[in-house]
Amino acid sequence: MYTAGIDLGSATGKCVILKDNKIIGSRIAPTQAHPTEMANRVMKSALANAGLSSVNEISTIFTTGYGRLNIEFATENMSEIACHAKGAHWMIPSVRTIIDIGGQDSKVISVNPDGSVDDFTMNDRCAAGTGRFFEGVARGLGLDLAGISALEMQGDEPCAISNQCSVFAESEVVSLMNEGHSFPNIIAGVNLSVARRMRGMARKVGVSEEVVMTGGCSKNDGLVASIGKMLGAEIVRCPTDPQLAGAIGAALFAKAKMERESAAA
Amino acid sequence: MNNMITSSGSQREYTPSDRIQCDAFQQMCEATACVQNSALKRWKENGGKVVGFLCSMAPDELLIAANMLGFRVRGTGSTNTDLADNYFTNLNCTFPRHCLNMAMEGEYEFLDGILYLNSCDHIRRLYDNWKLNIDTEFIELIALPRQTGPDQVKFFTEEFQMIREKLESHFKIKITDDALRDAIKLGNETRRLQRRMYDLRKQDDPPITGAEVLTVMVAGTAMPKTEYNVLLRELLEELEGKQGSGKEYRARLMITGGVLDDPKWINAVEEVGGLVVADGLCFGGRIMWEDIDETIEDPIEALGRYYLADRPSCPRVVDKQEERAEFTANMFKEFNCDGIVGAKMVFCDQWNVENYMLKSDMHEQEIPFMSVEREYITSGTGQLKTRIQAFIESLGK
Repeated sequence: MYTAGIDLGSATGKCVILKDNKIIGSRIAPTQAHPTEMANRVMKSALANAGLSSVNEISTIFTTGYGRLNIEFATENMSEIACHAKGAHWMIPSVRTIIDIGGQDSKVISVNPDGSVDDFTMNDRCAAGTGRFFEGVARGLGLDLAGISALEMQGDEPCAISNQCSVFAESEVVSLMNEGHSFPNIIAGVNLSVARRMRGMARKVGVSEEVVMTGGCSKNDGLVASIGKMLGAEIVRCPTDPQLAGAIGAALFAKAKMERESAAA
Repeated sequence: MNNMITSSGSQREYTPSDRIQCDAFQQMCEATACVQNSALKRWKENGGKVVGFLCSMAPDELLIAANMLGFRVRGTGSTNTDLADNYFTNLNCTFPRHCLNMAMEGEYEFLDGILYLNSCDHIRRLYDNWKLNIDTEFIELIALPRQTGPDQVKFFTEEFQMIREKLESHFKIKITDDALRDAIKLGNETRRLQRRMYDLRKQDDPPITGAEVLTVMVAGTAMPKTEYNVLLRELLEELEGKQGSGKEYRARLMITGGVLDDPKWINAVEEVGGLVVADGLCFGGRIMWEDIDETIEDPIEALGRYYLADRPSCPRVVDKQEERAEFTANMFKEFNCDGIVGAKMVFCDQWNVENYMLKSDMHEQEIPFMSVEREYITSGTGQLKTRIQAFIESLGK
């Protein structure tokens, strides 16, 4: 029996299909449409990826992320906090601290040994220091996100970044460029400023020795290194795409529900 | 087995008027959804005077005794703060911004007067900027003590007496002790009816949602009490004996916090499965939990005592934090709640400190407590819903 999790985020939609505790299909696509349409789109292509022909073959579907409510074919929805915890715990069972930086929000979650949420903290309203901020930085530098990644390990004197506002990111970066700072140092400064912010949030819920990062921004190696250094903790890399953590968690909750129901039947 | 939040439901913006179809409730919905409601307009058309106030510690009964309509000023319906932003610092919250902006757009021209208290720094700045920008003919500031001992009650009573005399001389009226006693009886009648409504929320499946209760409470600050009490009685007759609001829920929540007058915010909480069954809000539980003492001989003293010391206080009062924690814990138990959400406005220092202390007080009693920040006008509820849902999940619901 198959179960699926769909994580409808602010920047990307993710879908994971599970069979017997294994991922047999997945899909990540940029958010460009209404949540229902995004859900249909990622589900369809994850089905193709898994070699399945119809959504009817999936017994239970859970949604999470900003667009999680009001998806007609979903069985139930869960918060992305619970799903990221579940997904990260599934990938790395020893995890106790998760840092999730997505398209427009960031969270630090502490996890119980069974993968349930112990405590969490979340950024307030604005998208400071998230994926949107990095997009603004990239625009300011005239690069794309991949371009940033290529340069980020080369900076040895990180610039001071005073403002993590996604709206002001571009102008902040442009003024640094005008002052003659090198791209790698600007990018290193950007990563450091986000890492500092995450340290502040992480302190609030407590940090374990091993920290797992999830969400799109965890693909940014420079940022991951910066956060590890800042927290004085080892950032354990996920064996599976960390951007899928929320969708994996949702699919696991769907699996648990399916099993509960078949046990009851 | 959890109550499932199924994926049906409309995308349309929530209005409280959707469910309870009785006419009384519909009139209250209208009064809450806008500033210039029909009851207010009728009052003005009949030559009635309206005096606004910004804080629930203003003596509404004094205005009732003066045969005036006391109106709690809100920023309901405001869509921007472009005019007002020039008069506030970056550290002022959005409540005074929206109120001043609406006043600058002419929305509050109906006010014959306005009473301020120095309830917090933000309201205090609103007072300055209202005086500077808006020509309401009667503007008075009542000094609000920070403590609640006998000296402060005496002082506050004198402040009320001063306002009484200023109202009398400005509007050329007489506010008699008898009129004050009648006003106190009327206000207490409102409070009793509101508590009857709160009683309904103690049921396992209450016939009224938290968003609907807030609607009823806000309406009570926007229309004549005589009219309101009739409507509220009608509503109670409609609801008493009924069960269930049709709202599926996983957890019963209590909300604490400062100025929260928007049912849409409560509805966002309820949409992810947190039925709001109790509150310690100043548009809610705190303004009607106790009656004004009708046995005190001097009615103005009864008002001074009630508003400063006898009702559940706000964090503006510094010597009653323990009492507030007790009030919160008692209400939590009485309404069989699963968790408390402390909703505080961004930049609200008073509730910031209060929530910090409340959280540890509640923690000691193993009462789950989560603090969330909000802006005055509810928009973009995505993060709020995520937090509330995660909170409910962490309650094991």
